[in-house]
Amino acid sequence: MTTEAPTIDLTGSRPRLRRERRVRRLFLGAAVTSILISLLIVGSLAGEAWSFISKVDLSSLWDLGWFPRRDMFDIKTVVTGTLLISLIAMVVATPLGLGAAIYLSEYARPRARRWLKPILEVLAGVPSVVLGYFALTWISPNIVMRLNPHAGVFSMAAAGIGVGILVTPLVASVSEDAMRAVPHALREASYGLGAKKATTVTRVVFPAAASGIMASLILGLSRAIGETMVVAMAAGAVGGSLFELNVFEPGQTMTAAMTALAIGSDQVAGSNNAFQSLFFVGLLLFLMTLTLNLISDRFVRKVREKY
Amino acid sequence: MSRKLGLIALLLALALIAAACGDDDATTTSAAPTTTAAPTTTAAGQSTTTAAALTGSIDISGSSTVEPISAGVAEMFNAMYPGVAIKVEGPGTGDGAQLFCSGQIDIGDASRAYKDSEKELCAENGIEFIELVVAIDGLSVLTSTQNDAFACLATSDLYAVLGPESIGFGSWADANALAAEIGAPNAPYPDADLVITAPGEESGTFDTFVEFLIDGVAGGEDYAETRGAESVRPDYVASPNDNVIIEGVAGSQYSLGWVGYAFYLANQDRVKALAIDAGEGCVAPSAETIANGSYPFSRPLYIYVNKASAARPEVAAYVDLYLSEQGLSVIDQTGYVRLADYAPTLEAWQNR
Amino acid sequence: MATRAAAPSTTDLVRQSIQGRRLGFGDIAFPAALLLALLLALLFLATLLIDVFVRAWDAFAGRGFSVVTSPLSLNAGTAGLWQSIMGSLALTAVVAALAFPIGVGAAIYLEEYAPDNRFTRFISTNIRNLAGVPSIVYGILGLTIFVRFVRAVGAGGGVYGKNLLAGGLTLAALVLPIVIITTAEALRAVPSAIREAGFGVGATRWEVIRYHVIPYAAPGILTGTVLTLARAFGETAPLLLVGAATGFFSMGSAGFIDRAVGPYTALPVTIFSWARQPGADFRSLTAAAIVVLLVLLLTANAAAIILRNRYERKW
Repeated sequence: MTTEAPTIDLTGSRPRLRRERRVRRLFLGAAVTSILISLLIVGSLAGEAWSFISKVDLSSLWDLGWFPRRDMFDIKTVVTGTLLISLIAMVVATPLGLGAAIYLSEYARPRARRWLKPILEVLAGVPSVVLGYFALTWISPNIVMRLNPHAGVFSMAAAGIGVGILVTPLVASVSEDAMRAVPHALREASYGLGAKKATTVTRVVFPAAASGIMASLILGLSRAIGETMVVAMAAGAVGGSLFELNVFEPGQTMTAAMTALAIGSDQVAGSNNAFQSLFFVGLLLFLMTLTLNLISDRFVRKVREKY
Repeated sequence: MSRKLGLIALLLALALIAAACGDDDATTTSAAPTTTAAPTTTAAGQSTTTAAALTGSIDISGSSTVEPISAGVAEMFNAMYPGVAIKVEGPGTGDGAQLFCSGQIDIGDASRAYKDSEKELCAENGIEFIELVVAIDGLSVLTSTQNDAFACLATSDLYAVLGPESIGFGSWADANALAAEIGAPNAPYPDADLVITAPGEESGTFDTFVEFLIDGVAGGEDYAETRGAESVRPDYVASPNDNVIIEGVAGSQYSLGWVGYAFYLANQDRVKALAIDAGEGCVAPSAETIANGSYPFSRPLYIYVNKASAARPEVAAYVDLYLSEQGLSVIDQTGYVRLADYAPTLEAWQNR
Repeated sequence: MATRAAAPSTTDLVRQSIQGRRLGFGDIAFPAALLLALLLALLFLATLLIDVFVRAWDAFAGRGFSVVTSPLSLNAGTAGLWQSIMGSLALTAVVAALAFPIGVGAAIYLEEYAPDNRFTRFISTNIRNLAGVPSIVYGILGLTIFVRFVRAVGAGGGVYGKNLLAGGLTLAALVLPIVIITTAEALRAVPSAIREAGFGVGATRWEVIRYHVIPYAAPGILTGTVLTLARAFGETAPLLLVGAATGFFSMGSAGFIDRAVGPYTALPVTIFSWARQPGADFRSLTAAAIVVLLVLLLTANAAAIILRNRYERKW
C-alpha cells in the first residue's frame, strides 16, 4: 500500500511469477477471512433474532421487566440497565482516563512516563472476570455501601465502577496518543504568546486533540456497553429484573441477560422463546456498539487528516 | 529470522505438549487424594470383578441442588475407576430435563419430580428412564442474621410479600393491606426495605417453592385456588447460583430468600433460616424435622437414569455406587438428609 | 515542578523567564489534579492486587500448591486448577495456530499488496469494527456457527461440538482483528527504503517481504501476538456460551483425540464458577485462582517485553 514497486517486467522467470501470484492469493484469502467472520456474525445473529421477533408477542417487548422464562422481554429494562452502568463507568473513566492521559503526555518527565505507562498497560491487561470479582468483593462493600447504606451487595453502581476501571486505560491510551500527535509547534506558538503551561494545555493542546479525545470516549463507551463479566458478576439481576432506574439496586444489562441465558454447556433447549431472545439482544448489542465504533472511527480519521 | 521462527515453533510446541500430556496428569492426581476407597469394595450389586478396567463416559446435568451429591459421588467413582470420564453440571432441573429428554445426557439430577410436560418430551424422543429418590432436602427460607423482627413466618405472611399480588412492594409495610386481608399473623410489618434474592424459573428450587407456597403442597392455603395465583412475584433478584442468593440475603437486614437446606447449613454464619408455620405451628428446619416430615418445606431429591444408558456398565456401576453406603455418605457431607428407607429406591433400580 | 516540561528546551527557558514569577494556583492545582487522576487509577490496581493476594493467602497457606495441581472438585478442600490451566493452555495453542498465520497473512496483504481502493478500505474498516465487537457476541458466533461446524466435520465428541476446538475457533475469531491490527502497525514501521532496496536488486515482492520486511518487523509482530494471546487467555464470556464446563468433569482414560473433542474448561471460566460457589473456602480459592491467572498473564507480558527489547536493535 505504501511503496510503489517498480514494474518488474525484467524478471521473466515464470515459476517465480507464479509463486508470486500464489502467495498474493493466499494473503488475500487471509484478509477476506475477516469479512467472512463479519458475515457469519451478522448471519448468526439475524437469523435467530428474526425468528424470535416473528414468533414473540410484540407487546411482551414492552412489559414490567426482563423475565425471559416468563415470556416478558422488556427491552427498555435491559437497555436502560446497560446505559446506566455505562454512564457510571464513563463518569469514573472520563476524569481518570483523561487526567492520566494529559499528565502522561504533557507533564510527566520521560523517566516517570517510562514507569507509569507500563503500569497503566498492566491495568489494561487485567481480565474482566478478575475485575468482576473485585467489583463484587471490594468495590461493593467499600465504596457503594458507604455511599448508600441501603445498597445491597449487588448493584448497578458497583458494576458501573468496575467497568469504569476497566475502561480507564483504554480512554487514557487513545487520548494520550491523540495529544501526543498534536505538533510541538502549536505548543511553542502558545508559549511564545506568553501563555502558561496550564493555559496551553487546556486552550491549545486539548482543542487540537479534541476529535481524538472524543474518539477515546466513544470507544470507551462502546467497550462499557459490551462488557459482560463485571456486569454478570456484580450487577446482581442474573435471571431477570424489573425496570429499574435506581443505580443502588440490582439491574439487568443486555450482556448479563445473554450470559444468564446460555451459561455453561447447557442452555434452555425448550420450546419457549427464552433461548432465542439471546440472539435478539445480541443483535441489538451488536448494532449499538457498531454504531459507536463507526462514529469513533470517523473522529480518528479526522485526527489523521489534520496532522 | 530462523531463530525467531524457531522460537515461535518452540513456544507453540511447548503449549501443545503441555496441553496434550496435561490432562493425563490431571487424572493421575485425581486418583491420588481419595485412593482410600479401595477398588474392590464396590457397591450394592453386580460389577465387582473388572473394577479398574471400566472405561467410557457418563454425562450428568440438572439441578444445582443435587449437583454436589452427584459430583461427590463422581469424584469417589473416579478414584475407583480412573478410566471413566464423567461430567457433572448444574444449570437447573428444568434445563437438565430438556437435555435428558432429548437424550443428550445419561443422568438427570432433579430437585423435584419431572413434570408431565417433561415426561411427554421424553416419550416423544423415545427416552425411557428410571426415577430414583436419593435424598431429602429442606427448602430453607432465609433472612439476614441481623433480622430481629421475625423468627417465624406463616405461609400467609410469605404469600403477602412474595405472592404475585405483591409486585412492586419495595418495603415490608407495603404488604400490610394485603396481609390484613388474608389474615397473616405477623402483620403489620416494619417499614423496612424488602430485598428478595432467590432462585429463578430455571431452578427446581423455584418450582418447589411455588408448589409449597402457592399450591398449598406444604399444608398452607392453596392460593392458586383461592386467589388465582400462578407463581410468585417476578420482581426479585433471581439467580441460579446459591452463593449469589446467600450474598443477597446477607446484604440487607430484612431480606428474604430461599435455598436448599445444604446451602443454608454451609452459610449459617451469614444467614438465618426462618421457622415456617403452615397451619401446625412454627417448625424450624433441622436434620430431624426434615427427615420426619414435620418441617413443611421439605422435598425429595431425584436422579433420573436413562434406561439405555443404564445398560452401559460404567453408568450402572456409578448408580450402584450412588446408592451404596459409601455413596450415601456424600449426602451427609453435603448437608442433605438421608431417606428413612432406601428399599423402594433400590428396588426401582434393581427392577430396571 | 509544574513549569518543568519534558525537556529543557529553548522554549522552556524563554517561558520560564517570562512567567517565572507568575506561578498561580492553577499552575499547581491543575497538574496536581491530573496526577491524582493517574494515581487513583493505579491505586485501584494496587488495591485489586493486594486484596486478591490477601484473600488467596488462606488457600495457599492451607493447601500449598495442591491448589494448582489438583483436578476440579465441588469440594473446596480438594478442588484444584490443573484441568483449567491445561485447558486454557490448549485453547491458547489452538488460537495461536489459527489466528497467528491468518492474522499475519491478512496484515501482510493489507500493508504490502493491497491497492488503495474502495475494497481495501472496506476490509480495513471492517477489521477495525470487528475489533470493537463485544466478546459475548463472538460467543454467539461460536455457539451457532463453530459448534455446528465442529459437529458437522465429525469432531463433536461426546459434548455435541461444545469442545476445545469450537472454543479455540471462537477465541481465534475474537483475537484475529487485533492480531491483524498490531501486525499491520509493525509492518508500517518498516522503512520503505528497505523495500525499495530489495526491489532495486530485482527481488519480487514476496522475496522482499520474506527476507527483508518480516525479519525487520518480527519483534513487533511477536510482541503483539503474545499480548493478544494473553487477551485470549483471560477471556471468559464467549467460552460460557461455547460450553466450557462450569461443573465437575474428568476425562478418564481418554486418548489425545478424545480429550481434544471432549469436555473442557478454562482458567477464567473456573474463576467465574468458583466465585459462585458457597462458603468462605471457595472465596479464598477463587482469589487463589485469580492469583494464578494474573501470574501467568504477567509472565506472558514480561516475556513479550523482553522479546521486544532483545530483538529491537538488531537492525
